[in-house]
Amino acid sequence: MDYVRLPEPSSGALLGEFVAESSAQAVTALLAKWRAGDEEGLRALFPVVYNELRRVAHYRLQNERPDHTLQSTALVHEVYLRLEKQGGAKLENREHLLAICALLMRQILVEYARRHRAAKRGGGQKETLVEGMALAEGRSLELLALDSALEALAKLDAQQCRVVQLRYFGGLSIEETARVMGISPATVKRDWNVAKAWLARQMQRGGHG
Amino acid sequence: MDNPSRREQWEKVKGIVGDALDREPSRRIAFLDGVCGTNTTLRAEVESLVAAYEKASGVLHDAFPPISLETASPSDMIGPYRLVNKLGEGGMGQVWLAEQTSPVHRKVALKLIRAGMFEKEVLQRFQSERQSLAIMDHPSIAKVFDAGATPNGQPYFVMEYVQGEPITTYCDQHRLKIRDRLELFLKVCDGVLHAHQKAIIHRDLKPANILVAEVDGKPTPRIIDFGLAKAIGPQTGAETMFTQVGGFVGTPAYMSPEQADPGVRDLDTRTDVYSLGVILYELLTGSLPFDPKKCKDKLLYEVLRQLREQDPPRPSNKVETERESSIVAAAMRGTAPKQLASLLHGDLDWITMKALEKDRSRRYGTPSELAADITRYLEHQPVSARPASMGYRLQKYVRRHRVAVAIAGAFVLLLGGVAVLQAVQLRRITRERDRANRITDFMKGMFKVSDPGESRGNTVTAREILDKASKDIDTGLAKDPETQAQLMDVMGSVYESLGLYPRAQPLLERALDTQRHILGPKNPETLRSMNHLGWTLMKEGRYGEAEKLQREALDAQRRVLGPEHPDTLATTNDLAWTLQEEGRYAEAEKFEREALEIERRVLPTEHRYALRTMGDLAWTLQKEGRYAEAEKFEREKLDIQRRVLGPEHRDTLGTVNNLAWTLMREGRYAEAEELGRQTLEVERRVLGPEHPNTLITMNTLAGALSRERRYPEAEKLFRDLLDIQTRVLGPEHPNTATTRYNLGCLAALQGRTDEAFSLVSGAIDHGLRSSTDLGIEKDPDLNSLHADPRFAPLVAHAKEKAAAAQILK
Repeated sequence: MDYVRLPEPSSGALLGEFVAESSAQAVTALLAKWRAGDEEGLRALFPVVYNELRRVAHYRLQNERPDHTLQSTALVHEVYLRLEKQGGAKLENREHLLAICALLMRQILVEYARRHRAAKRGGGQKETLVEGMALAEGRSLELLALDSALEALAKLDAQQCRVVQLRYFGGLSIEETARVMGISPATVKRDWNVAKAWLARQMQRGGHG
Repeated sequence: MDNPSRREQWEKVKGIVGDALDREPSRRIAFLDGVCGTNTTLRAEVESLVAAYEKASGVLHDAFPPISLETASPSDMIGPYRLVNKLGEGGMGQVWLAEQTSPVHRKVALKLIRAGMFEKEVLQRFQSERQSLAIMDHPSIAKVFDAGATPNGQPYFVMEYVQGEPITTYCDQHRLKIRDRLELFLKVCDGVLHAHQKAIIHRDLKPANILVAEVDGKPTPRIIDFGLAKAIGPQTGAETMFTQVGGFVGTPAYMSPEQADPGVRDLDTRTDVYSLGVILYELLTGSLPFDPKKCKDKLLYEVLRQLREQDPPRPSNKVETERESSIVAAAMRGTAPKQLASLLHGDLDWITMKALEKDRSRRYGTPSELAADITRYLEHQPVSARPASMGYRLQKYVRRHRVAVAIAGAFVLLLGGVAVLQAVQLRRITRERDRANRITDFMKGMFKVSDPGESRGNTVTAREILDKASKDIDTGLAKDPETQAQLMDVMGSVYESLGLYPRAQPLLERALDTQRHILGPKNPETLRSMNHLGWTLMKEGRYGEAEKLQREALDAQRRVLGPEHPDTLATTNDLAWTLQEEGRYAEAEKFEREALEIERRVLPTEHRYALRTMGDLAWTLQKEGRYAEAEKFEREKLDIQRRVLGPEHRDTLGTVNNLAWTLMREGRYAEAEELGRQTLEVERRVLGPEHPNTLITMNTLAGALSRERRYPEAEKLFRDLLDIQTRVLGPEHPNTATTRYNLGCLAALQGRTDEAFSLVSGAIDHGLRSSTDLGIEKDPDLNSLHADPRFAPLVAHAKEKAAAAQILK
């Protein structure tokens, strides 16, 4: 049995010793506060989180039904609650926040689609995960297909999978995705195109479920 | 994934499909002919993907329509309009001069709207708006002719092409007197009133949207973009703030307080009255009531708060107090500052301030009321505007305290501004070449933002800043190689701490090279860079080279700086670490004891260096099997950390974890388990369940459980750990490999021989550390495998791999 040693700071990077006071740090500090378990941090950042989420939800649901404003608000509340529940551990900056929102959005939509289908099959009453939120019937099937195709893609090409997650579920632009992932917009664009082709083929073949 | 040839194949396919999709569909066949040649398998794979892309429908299809904004170019046809040349580009999109060919031939302005996330909604909204826009017919309003969408869904608007100057520029260029300015302004009010009567609000009135041209020798204003803000913009003021980050940051100057208020959902015609008030203020005084440029150094939310809460100085007051700019402003108005101030004093002050009331119910209700007061002034009649009463001011004071939401909301804007701010600061500061230390501090401070030591997850921001900075460094500091080298050293070290060794190494090498030439080989800076490069090489597993550099640096530092210098001590510790990684524990211990002896003598006990050396030494002792000594140093370190940092600090918890491991090696399993559980609980809470330190504690606890022969529990924990590591660190990370190896040990302990071989050899082939490779032969946990004929080849393979790694490096 072997053991992994704790990382010690290299003498080269004395990063812990400098305190600066730009506004970026103010925001980062709030995130750090939240990470440390202080709910105040999240509350102070509520508008940031909330509006990022609204943006994403609005985007994701815009094709669903005309009354999407209500729906996106409901979806936002669901995501926000989950974000709150999981604590600030992973939230370091805006990019990170966007990535996590995209992930949560995917989870919720897929979960919803799954329950929706189960309820349909069982002939029982339609169950809503989020009150006021409803996906069109064909939509939930497609969403599940996309989700499992994405899982398959993740095994083949993790980077493309992330691009799709940020673009599709996060509603991020090419440039934003590039910034979040630390790669060039040109690469994002290519990955996005190729991933779309691959996912489309996978879904056309019915390679899910 | 596991299959390298499949992966290779995918890389190839991916490249070709990407290239093919970049091309026009009609050119793809020829392209594929060229690239695939006779490889029919490849061709079929690529073609099926391209075909699938073309056929994509449903969720994938409408995910993101193509954006033609990026590709619009002169002579393109959009509907019946031919693009001529680009007039401008802004947050909203692009404005093109275009020619309409039928039914009439005329020049038009065509606005291509940035296809954003709201485009469908935008189009729908515009369809309902265009009707009302079409019924506007006023000499002061530029006509909207048409609206539509390009075949791929890009919305556009066509309007009258107006050649003219922004109203403020025009007035200044022509030195218009106050009276002439007011008369021109009245025509603007007239146009706005006309639109209001058709129930259309502009929402974005500003000089740039009011163009003045001369018709029959008389200045005539034309308001452009009427109704566009509503048609294409977000619905409310609040949304404006939150969704148009960047778009409005530059020009909040003309925005009404209610537009800047997230709580206000209903904008009415009075928002335009406020904007008219700002324009009037500017026409009269030459400056804005709140000049965002003057607030450059203030935080953005401060500016917005000011906009919402603070009353601007009266126009006459502004002219009196801002003497320098007033001289120019007065000259533009054919007068002198004193005369200008007394001209504005009284009626014009009151009129302007009434238009600028924060509370819209105290404002002029319509542009015609505003115009009527101006007309009264011009005709020397008493105006309706009066200074606000005391009671009202008190009421307003109370209202000011309901702004918490708005302030918090401004954080959104802040986040957008931060990136720009950092870029600007960096550029500005890099110019001050003789202030190298400031740069270093600045950069280190900048990187502190995301503290890369904390976890893997936050590498994004740091990466972004770093990549940007490392691009700037070549050009920005070309004439100051000394500073350049210093910055390269810093950035290299930061890349190193992010684990990006391939990026760190060339920077550090260049830094060292430059410093050797400019500063000489024995300069303290050079020696420090030498050690940093050594450290990075060690991290990459290139121990031989690392040791050589570090020894060279240490020898020189001892002579030049003396053995007690912090740099010398740092190099001593780093060299000891390298030796220890190589399994040369006795040598490592010697250096560590030397360093600790000096540190205890010259530094305070809680100094970072001394604590680090204690931990390093304890580790080496533990490796040598001298557990009691190791425990002594760990407990000593722990006492200091608990006192100085507190019991829940990351570093304190790290020491507890190391102590637990030492106890385990001593056979005190129950104690180790207890410490492991406690630490894990705190770390999961404080650092998060996937923090690198949390993962290491999981490893420790699982180890203790294995020693207590509670195999199922241990196995469960190791499996969980492997999952997280594979996801967070990647399947080839040495720590991930170690967990796989440990699971192999557990399998061996439980007699599952085949599984054990598979896990251990998998670990060897996927990133296991050389030090572990070399220990396999003597690891007692694998005793049950010794009799198996597969064991000797496995050990040989591991040794070969370790040796190869050494040579390779």
